[in-house]
Amino acid sequence: MIKLQGLTKTYETPAGAFPALKGIDLDIGAGELVAVVGKSGSGKSTLLHMVGGIDRPSSGSVEVGGGAIQNLTENQLAAWRGRSVGIVFQFFQLLPTLTVAENVMLPMDFCKTVPARARRRRALDLLARVDVAEQADKLPSTLSGGQQQRAAIARALANDPPIILADEPTGNLDSETGAAIFRLFGDLARDGKTVVVVTHERDSISHADRTVTLADGRVA
Amino acid sequence: MAPRWRKALRDFWQERTRTVLVVLAITLGIAGFTAVLSSYAVLTRELDRGYLATNPASASLKTDPIDDKLVASILSGHGVSDAEPRRVVSGRIQLGPMEWRNLTLFVVKDYGNIRVSKLVPEQGPWPPAAGEILIERDAFQVARTSIGKDVTVRTTHGKEQTLRVAGRVHDVGQAQARMENVVYGYINLETLARLGEEPYLDQLKILVAENRFDEQHIRSVAADLRKVLESEGHPVSRIDIPQPGKHPHSDLMGVLLLGMASFGVFVLLLSGILVVNLLTAMMATQVRQIGVMKAIGATRGQIAGIYLSQSALLGAAAIFVAVPAGILGSHALCRAMGVFLNFDIQSFAAPVWVYLLVAAVGLLVPLLSAAYPVWKGSGVSVREALSDFGVSAGALRVGALDRALAGVRGLARPLLLAIRNSFRRRARLVLTLLTLAAGGLFFLTALNVRASLIQTLDRLFRSKKFDLTVGFGTMVPADPIERAIRKTPGILRSEGWITTEGVFSGPGDTPAVESRSGGGPHAAGATGGGPHEGSSETGGRFAVVALPAETKALALEIVKGRGLAPGDEDGIVVNNALAAKVPGLKVGAPIFFRMGPAQTSWRVVGIAREPFSPAVAYVPLRFFEERGHTGVVNNVRLALDRTDRASIQRVKEDLEKNLEEENVRAVSSTSKADSRFSFDQHMLMIYVFLIVVSCLLGGVGGLGLMTTMSLNVLERRREMGILRAIGASPRVVWLIVIAEGLVIGALSWALAALAAWPVSKLLGNILVRLAFKGGLDFVFETRGLFLWLAVSVLLAAASSFLPAWHASRRSVREAISYE
Repeated sequence: MIKLQGLTKTYETPAGAFPALKGIDLDIGAGELVAVVGKSGSGKSTLLHMVGGIDRPSSGSVEVGGGAIQNLTENQLAAWRGRSVGIVFQFFQLLPTLTVAENVMLPMDFCKTVPARARRRRALDLLARVDVAEQADKLPSTLSGGQQQRAAIARALANDPPIILADEPTGNLDSETGAAIFRLFGDLARDGKTVVVVTHERDSISHADRTVTLADGRVA
Repeated sequence: MAPRWRKALRDFWQERTRTVLVVLAITLGIAGFTAVLSSYAVLTRELDRGYLATNPASASLKTDPIDDKLVASILSGHGVSDAEPRRVVSGRIQLGPMEWRNLTLFVVKDYGNIRVSKLVPEQGPWPPAAGEILIERDAFQVARTSIGKDVTVRTTHGKEQTLRVAGRVHDVGQAQARMENVVYGYINLETLARLGEEPYLDQLKILVAENRFDEQHIRSVAADLRKVLESEGHPVSRIDIPQPGKHPHSDLMGVLLLGMASFGVFVLLLSGILVVNLLTAMMATQVRQIGVMKAIGATRGQIAGIYLSQSALLGAAAIFVAVPAGILGSHALCRAMGVFLNFDIQSFAAPVWVYLLVAAVGLLVPLLSAAYPVWKGSGVSVREALSDFGVSAGALRVGALDRALAGVRGLARPLLLAIRNSFRRRARLVLTLLTLAAGGLFFLTALNVRASLIQTLDRLFRSKKFDLTVGFGTMVPADPIERAIRKTPGILRSEGWITTEGVFSGPGDTPAVESRSGGGPHAAGATGGGPHEGSSETGGRFAVVALPAETKALALEIVKGRGLAPGDEDGIVVNNALAAKVPGLKVGAPIFFRMGPAQTSWRVVGIAREPFSPAVAYVPLRFFEERGHTGVVNNVRLALDRTDRASIQRVKEDLEKNLEEENVRAVSSTSKADSRFSFDQHMLMIYVFLIVVSCLLGGVGGLGLMTTMSLNVLERRREMGILRAIGASPRVVWLIVIAEGLVIGALSWALAALAAWPVSKLLGNILVRLAFKGGLDFVFETRGLFLWLAVSVLLAAASSFLPAWHASRRSVREAISYE
């Protein structure tokens, strides 16, 4: 499902070139729940950004679902992301002026994957799946952190993407809620989704099918 | 509604205070634009419609007595569809025991059958009987009388006679009596006879049969008619051809409204700056949201669409409020212009194109203003957006200005902070300064233009070394006049002049540029009248003033060549308005024109500057003396020892009594103050216009500053929380924000002050040139600087007050938790 070959990423900083990734080769299969771990600055988030088409590699290739994505234009990438990848952020990043349900409907709105009339129904179904259906018409700020993250996962599933990428999804949650979120990811993987989770929490690794450890931009 | 559009709406609701400010600013611009545009459409339509409804004459030919047979002969062919004889008689109307005002009497033979240049009866019996006079509605206040009262009237050749004011008429084509300080009266032939004048009509008003709006055709018909009349023994002394189908003041009104519309658009553009500020700030605070939307599949176009729709919403909201307000404003403006130009408005309905244009402009301005910040903001990459901390940007960069700011010492720390804070968002600062400074600039310009107008008029009137002009309407011997003057106390000096009319019309005359300047029935002859004095509907006509070469009554400002000298025989001094009519006119060049039937040739010895004056030629009195007019004049200029109103009135009364004793009749007496009043009335329009514009711009500027301060406060909530956390009281936070506003206010003042000189000069010259074909003696009104400084400080303090209050009331916890 995901194939990284000779992937490098170097950032130009005022202090000089900073190599964040140094020749990563990685294959992740469909339905796998992979935990990417490593110290701060090891390149975990950069790796996730490459897989999600959020950033472009300096060299090497990123193939997702059989196609290379590094040569797509920004707009093609955006459309691809909307349909192929669901992203979950550490700080949930729900849009504060939209209700929870509307947040979930937003990717469908952008990508037009679901007919307009069916979008709310699907959003409610997804929210029910992650156990926050009763919060559907509330604004995100009225929800707890765990509830917000569940809603964010529902949003990531909106267009039924084959891949879910999560960047420190439990970093802002207590351990119990974090564990529940990981159980949810496990369920998604069992349903056939490929789930890549960047985390620095050792406890979370137990939920993963496989752990990829990064150190100084390389797979350790 | 799709979630993204809901987001657009709710984001605005969240930013409602700033949104309201920006909508208000755009509303001001659109309302002003709507008011002026609608007024332009309504007034031009109504003015021309009202004017055309009177069936205005295509041309007027002045000849000797016209009888019915002659009219019938003219109507039998010659390309004329209708013709009507009239007469215009000059005279005076008594306002007080010895106070008279100039009177223009229009004589109509049959009021029941007016077909050309119709009058609109408004009140009183119609037609007027013998011994009755109708007065033009705008002239009642000049005449200080009312319907049913008796007025005493005296014409040039007639006797003093009491007439009853029978009614009120509206003469659409006349210049406003108030502005011209003259009374328009309408009488029949019997009344004219009672006034002691020969009861005949000598002016033929014609309507051309075809191509009514083709000026060339009208000229050709009038020229043919002239030949016909002259072949039948009726010499034609004057032909007037007004601009076909156009009210005499439609051009002036067009210039005024066009000027207002330009500034309406300018205000609208300035309000667009506020949209730029708001959208830039909004994009900056929403950069992470933009990143998230991109991460979940939004394209740049979709994101730009959200924020552009917000701009369109701003415009739509503003249009919703502004159009009704603008239409109301248009009604008020139309009414004011109707009163000002003395015409009625049948319908205030603005045409559909006004609404469409306003809607298009109202939507486009915010959209175009937002285009750059939105496109730039929506172009941020997901990675950049997600790594952005949203509102923390704006730290001092390290440029020369930053180092200079960092070097400022010796001020209280909060004030230093306020000064440095002012420069953090440079682009926003510049845009805010622009809007505020524009208000100041126009305010200062208004004051400077006003001062310059006064200075220019002062200078013009200083050149006139006389305080009173007494006109006789015809040539009269100078001796009895001098005797009357000697018997009249209070007169220091007198000088007899001959004022007549010159025209570039015939073969052999100097070719002149055709131009119209105001129009209307303004008497020819430089008798010290208003700005339209001596102007005519035909561009080739001008006043000729014959005066002693060694005159002490006039000190012309000669800009080229010299003034008249005692030895001059064919020397002529032309003023700048006349020089402008003759392309390439130079000192030493010959100039040819007609005075009456005779062609005259002259040599230009000098060009005089007379701002706001119509075209005038100054020639030696000797020219007339050598042609049989020895010892006669048709007007006299008097310098008085006291120039207050009462003293001038006393001199007028005494002199007229003494002239009567000498069997000389004065038909007009105009003081310098009367002439000045008329000028001042015309200038007032420009001044009021500039003040209104500066108030509008000041309003937009104030709203702009309020938006800026509120955005600054929004972005620095966390900093303010930190300030509070380390011991700053709410009052100190409040003061820092207010001081920041004051710094911006002071900077805008400095900018306006710097630009005021060149802009005032340029704008003043353009406005005066457009409206009066003259230039300005520029004066910088320094008091304006202090006045605008006070306004800027007050405006800045008022605009910063609310944001400062909100900032100071926020709790430390709220402030530092803001992301």
